[in-house]
Amino acid sequence: MLALAGACLSLQVWAAQPLAPTPPVQANYMLNCMGCHLADGSGAPGKVPSLRDSLLPLALSPAGRAYLVQVPGVAQSPLADEEIAQLLAWMVRNLGARAVPPEFVDFTASEVAGYRKSPLVNVRETRAQLLAAAQRLTP
Amino acid sequence: MHNAFDALVEQLARAMARRSSRRRFIGGVGTLLFGAACVPLLPVARGESPRAVQPDNGADPGDPQSCEYWRHCAIDGYLCSCCGGSVHSCPPGTEPSAVTWVGTCHNPGDGHDYIVSYNDCCGKTECGRCLCNRNEGDKPLYMPFKSNDYNWCAGSQVGIAYHCSTARIVGLAK
Repeated sequence: MLALAGACLSLQVWAAQPLAPTPPVQANYMLNCMGCHLADGSGAPGKVPSLRDSLLPLALSPAGRAYLVQVPGVAQSPLADEEIAQLLAWMVRNLGARAVPPEFVDFTASEVAGYRKSPLVNVRETRAQLLAAAQRLTP
Repeated sequence: MHNAFDALVEQLARAMARRSSRRRFIGGVGTLLFGAACVPLLPVARGESPRAVQPDNGADPGDPQSCEYWRHCAIDGYLCSCCGGSVHSCPPGTEPSAVTWVGTCHNPGDGHDYIVSYNDCCGKTECGRCLCNRNEGDKPLYMPFKSNDYNWCAGSQVGIAYHCSTARIVGLAK
């Protein structure tokens, strides 16, 4: 009984640990994306799309990578191209529900700059088409 | 009178001694210790929110019921600490919106900048107390991703009725 009480107390001590500084790339996610997509990228059903199952399939094709940069929340964010490149790679590696395969290539600032120039108008339709195409390619 | 009282207390004490054992008493104390230690771990109203944290060394100057309190640097709404809740929890009868506005505030107590999530509490009509509109870092509506003029209860499961706003620390910025 005392051991259990001790375990509970030690859990509380762990929970009350002071906060370590948030890495800049994660802080950019928190300040620019997390408000709607939530801390784990799951979003709000019917209102904010989940990133967990869609990020990786999109990041594995050129059209999907263009979409990830051109989607309004990314393209119109106050972040620089380099910051967006790092942020997208961090999101793919940390928010996806599946393990990242070796063929995934990190984004670069020049790639982001290229995609960012073209606006994306039909966001939902483009997303649905790309995910359907990615699903057809999945073995 | 004294004798009668003494007799009554003695009778009660002996009756209790006959009914209870030392082992049972120790067991009861153990249960109490265990229960008291575990109560703060219950997942009450924390399911939707990022893990709220405290500033280093407990440096948290100011009054959470005041608009000038440092965590309220970018808030726009009624302070939940004046409405039956606290700076990081919703009042009874309301639920926190999952989607929220996130900004940073400078803590004068320890000199650090903290990432603060302004979760609205939804499901009841406006609280009406402690209106606070500071808006540091807020951008106009034509920059929708950095504007805090939205009713974040639109993303809540309990309806669009806005009651008040919390200011939860979710990270330590540089």
